[in-house]
Amino acid sequence: MATGDATVKELAEPYDMSVAAVSKHLKVLEAAGLISQGRQSQWRPRHLEAGPLREVFEWLEDYRRFWDRSLDSLAEHLRVLQLQNTGKKRDRSKRTRHASIIKEGNKE
Amino acid sequence: MTAIIDVSAVDRPVIVITRDFDAPRELVWKAITDPKQVAVWYGGPGFTNPVCEMDLRPGGTWHHVMQAPNGARYTINSVFEEIVEPELLVWRTIKDPNRNPPPPTSVNTVTLEAHGQQTRWKLVTLFDSIADRDLSAKMGFGQMISMGTDRMAAHLETLQGVQDHG
Repeated sequence: MATGDATVKELAEPYDMSVAAVSKHLKVLEAAGLISQGRQSQWRPRHLEAGPLREVFEWLEDYRRFWDRSLDSLAEHLRVLQLQNTGKKRDRSKRTRHASIIKEGNKE
Repeated sequence: MTAIIDVSAVDRPVIVITRDFDAPRELVWKAITDPKQVAVWYGGPGFTNPVCEMDLRPGGTWHHVMQAPNGARYTINSVFEEIVEPELLVWRTIKDPNRNPPPPTSVNTVTLEAHGQQTRWKLVTLFDSIADRDLSAKMGFGQMISMGTDRMAAHLETLQGVQDHG
């Protein structure tokens, strides 16, 4: 429908769906004001109402973008956390070594 | 990262987003359930989170205020529905009457899959549609389009297969 008005039969053609099933989906879309039905012929081609659709896609895109951004930051946060943890582990092992040297020193 | 608009649910739109992290699962779990850590990454670069309070138990609330780079503040209140450490977190967002139009409420399910030292984060967001008839109906159409492209791709593959063999 993005390329022009289409009949139910034309819309159903590329899909593994019956004309009746497509027709049912189209009824839902028509009730939502997203498509309209022509009345000029017995084929009644469907027309795409693009305005409200844009809002939906914008909203969906915003939602996806929100998580995309958040997950970028989460990845960075996890990277920094792990760097810090490795640093701490190194410090600890240094301290342990140091402590054991002191212990050995005390033994003597 | 992938974002998929699910093809099967017509009445209740679903969005699935996955991401692989180079971090063990325990660490990712903490990062998404410790409010101090969530406040660090939630929203992404430029966003801050002046409020992030999580009562991490089924029925517990997650009170959140996110601030966009332009200073706009968004209140996002949710209730935790299911918590299985360190693999499953489910929360439901509560309708915000102060926003016009209010964003659709949703049930969000995050699963963490351990793959050695890596973790696969997967979010399944199931939007409520009955109350938000207008938006949901529109979103239902988003799915139809997604379904269209998926099926079209499958159809094209079939066609190519036929040509290859012919």
